[in-house]
Amino acid sequence: MTTIVTPRPELLDTSATTDNYLTFTRGFRSWALTLDHKRIGVMYMSAVLASFFVGGVFALLLRTELLTPGRTIVSADTYNQFFTLHGAIMVFLVIIPSIPAALGNFVLPIMLGAKDVAFPKLNLFSFYLWVGGALFTLYSLAAGGFDTGWTFYTPYSTTTTTGGVIPVLTGVFILGFSSIFTGLNFIVTVHKLRPPGMTWFRMPLFLWALYATAIIQVLATPVLAITVCLLIVERTMNIGIFNPSMGGDPVLYQHFFWFYSHPAVYIMIVPAMGIISEIISVHAHRQIFGYRFIAFSSIAIAMFSFIVWGHHMFVSGQSGLMNTIFSLISFSVAIPSAVKTFNWTMTLYKGTISLTAPMMYGLSFIFLFTIGGLTGIHLATLNTDVHLHDTYFVVAHFHYVMMGSALIGMIGGLHHWWPKMTGRMYNEKAAIIACIIIFVGFNITFFTQFMLGSQGMPRRYYDYLPEFQIYHVISTIGAYIMACGFFLCAACFVQSLLGGKKAPANPWGGRSLEWQCTSPPPHDNFSAPPTVGNCYDFSMLRWDEKEQGYVVDKELEAVAIAAEARGHS
Amino acid sequence: MLSTLTSIFIATASVQTAPPVATPADFWLPIGASVQAHNVDLMFNIINYICYFFFVVILAMMVWFVIKYRAKPGTRIRTDGMTHHAVLELSWSVIPLLICIAIFFFGFTGYVDLITPPKNSFDVNVTAFKWGWQFKYPNGAQSDNLVVPSNRPVRLVMRSNDVLHCCFIPAFRVKKDIVPGRYSTLWFQCDIPTGIEEKNGYHLFCTEYCGTGHSNMNRRVMVLPQAEFDEWLVKQAQWLDEIPDDELYFKAGPKIYARCQQCHSLDGTVGLGPSWQGVWTRLTTPGGARFSDGKSYSDIIGLGKEYATPEDYIRDSIYNPGKHLVATYGNVMPTFKGQLNDRAVDSVIGMMKHLDEFDVKGAWTKTLPPAAAKTETKSEQK
Repeated sequence: MTTIVTPRPELLDTSATTDNYLTFTRGFRSWALTLDHKRIGVMYMSAVLASFFVGGVFALLLRTELLTPGRTIVSADTYNQFFTLHGAIMVFLVIIPSIPAALGNFVLPIMLGAKDVAFPKLNLFSFYLWVGGALFTLYSLAAGGFDTGWTFYTPYSTTTTTGGVIPVLTGVFILGFSSIFTGLNFIVTVHKLRPPGMTWFRMPLFLWALYATAIIQVLATPVLAITVCLLIVERTMNIGIFNPSMGGDPVLYQHFFWFYSHPAVYIMIVPAMGIISEIISVHAHRQIFGYRFIAFSSIAIAMFSFIVWGHHMFVSGQSGLMNTIFSLISFSVAIPSAVKTFNWTMTLYKGTISLTAPMMYGLSFIFLFTIGGLTGIHLATLNTDVHLHDTYFVVAHFHYVMMGSALIGMIGGLHHWWPKMTGRMYNEKAAIIACIIIFVGFNITFFTQFMLGSQGMPRRYYDYLPEFQIYHVISTIGAYIMACGFFLCAACFVQSLLGGKKAPANPWGGRSLEWQCTSPPPHDNFSAPPTVGNCYDFSMLRWDEKEQGYVVDKELEAVAIAAEARGHS
Repeated sequence: MLSTLTSIFIATASVQTAPPVATPADFWLPIGASVQAHNVDLMFNIINYICYFFFVVILAMMVWFVIKYRAKPGTRIRTDGMTHHAVLELSWSVIPLLICIAIFFFGFTGYVDLITPPKNSFDVNVTAFKWGWQFKYPNGAQSDNLVVPSNRPVRLVMRSNDVLHCCFIPAFRVKKDIVPGRYSTLWFQCDIPTGIEEKNGYHLFCTEYCGTGHSNMNRRVMVLPQAEFDEWLVKQAQWLDEIPDDELYFKAGPKIYARCQQCHSLDGTVGLGPSWQGVWTRLTTPGGARFSDGKSYSDIIGLGKEYATPEDYIRDSIYNPGKHLVATYGNVMPTFKGQLNDRAVDSVIGMMKHLDEFDVKGAWTKTLPPAAAKTETKSEQK
């Protein structure tokens, strides 16, 4: 039997105004040299959102260029730089750090009832590594940009005349270490800093997801570091590793690259799945359905992620036997993904569902991830992949998963924890409208690209056949709609910061530990290490008008405790 | 045999109902014109229906639950939902697993058919380069577009001169990367002739990103009945030889220039390579630091120098393009060694000497004397 002995939010009302992490100390240095995981999380979030804006501008430029066949606004070389930058920024600077480093940093220690991550200084160091990597990427633009595609396939990447290739590779190398250190920190934190009572199977599922992600980050990212090193060596010293004219093998590069970059896909999506597990259960106020299946499916996806990289190379010239093995293993990823999707959906069954802004993002995620996941079957199947490989079908598929799922999950998580991070509420109606606009715009943009691809339109094309134009026009209109949605979303957040209602400790009715400290949390998160109950038991919560948030009802709590005691005996 | 017949029937039917988006059956896929297309399309459609099914199930559950269990103001939090259900959860693990294994198996067998060329296939040598294609036939004939016989398996033996390329023919549902330093092969059989008209040919794309001209590597695949194909093959091998020497520059020149025009303009526009405008004057007048190493044309062209004549220099620039780089231009031109023979190079040089007779697109603007006009109709497209 367990109870929550942390001070209740209502008892903390007076202290909340005196101690929160945002006002704990003041001045530039207090932020720049902070070891507080919450401040580092906020800094990461600001940096990631700024990068998202830049990557998004490139996306809009791309879509605008593709309005007509041939030249619309820029030349072919500029277009090639645009799509390369869009991809590299979105992957390395936005999606990979967005959930683990930004939201994870903020939420993970509080969810664990801990004061901070295990290695706070390493945490700050990894943030500055991110900044360093970002600066190198920025510098590469000044050095002539790069037009290699974010995949840096050789021998094009070692022979192209654009001058920014080596700076951006250096940037990617540094960003990789930022990611490794964050992963290392999280693994140790989850192992060592869980409070008494929080067994592995009492952890919120977001922690399981972050833990699985951290394992991939630590194991896979070093391979990327080696790969970009070899690429730099080949480009600067003409040592033949990948270039066949010097005795190298370009397909070897693809193996190295995807050995990291396929797991990287799960570095992006698994934490988003964790967020969705939280959002769906908290906003449906309903015990998550099949906790263990979801937890194990995160670990299963992390494991499978290492042995399916070859499906990026079905037409690359790797042997038919390898293709067969990789195709078979790739299907295994479908199972944990299906389990998660069905379990989330079943969590809605007999729930008490509040259609809040985070919940709208959560439901969008299920919709978009279902499409993204199912179209993966076309691509894992050998003979259909041959037709669809390197076409817009692939582009649509991975945008449904990377953007429609990973990024929508991140934005949903941001809405979910925004009151906790800033202490302010946002205009809920406007945020929901923004979500709907993004959702509609997204589907217009990317569903069209499925048709484009299956009709045979190759990806990374500056010029295209006139019969494809109608699809491109629709897709571009969708992108503009989506941009409007994101601007509305940003406006909501700005309005919230400037004049949002004060946030209660528990605006949504969550039960994991972060909802038990004030909004925003005090510098030390908890005055005493909290004891932990079932973080998905919502039965004791009641909406409180005065508080404008959820509070634990004493009577209901007694009933819940009794019920749990019965369950244990 | 039966499956071949069905695929012919289906492919023919879809050819007649083009354009692809007009018919519901072709909402997803373009016309399928190879014997392999039928199996791929069948698989694609089966997977589609499985996807529709699961999508509708999940969406319906989601919408229904959200409507039914939406919190009304003042309601207590429900606590009667089950926390887990082993049978249910196992069933939506195991059933998708079985479906996946089945899909894998049929995809695999289909793939084996897709990559295993029949023994009696007709080989075409393919060279991909930045940014174009060269199709070479056993009798020495060369073509910019792919022309193949119908009702016979065709195997492309492909290599790349520079970076990765990828050969994709959507109507045939085939695709294969072309990796420098090794041969890759791809086969198909098309039983629906298109005729030699370029506009009726099937599209051929490069689908591996290869730089500036990546999206300009589109070519056509023309499928001819065997007899017609044999005739074309002979003519294609000899077309350059049949043109009298003094007519080479305006008959063969423009056809070969079509491969140069992506980078070399005729009107002075700066492209990836120097414009041909005024090239002969530049070559034959002394002075001017024209190379990236500071040398001028007259430093290397002339008696006793590296090139005795400007013709020698042009010829070497086509075969060894990186040897002398004109200032401000990069080393991006692929070699045309083995692709353009002496007569082809002669026609290019002849065209350079007579640029005033061509418009900016490279079309010859003078009219033929009546006697020569008759032979013009004979020389077919190149």
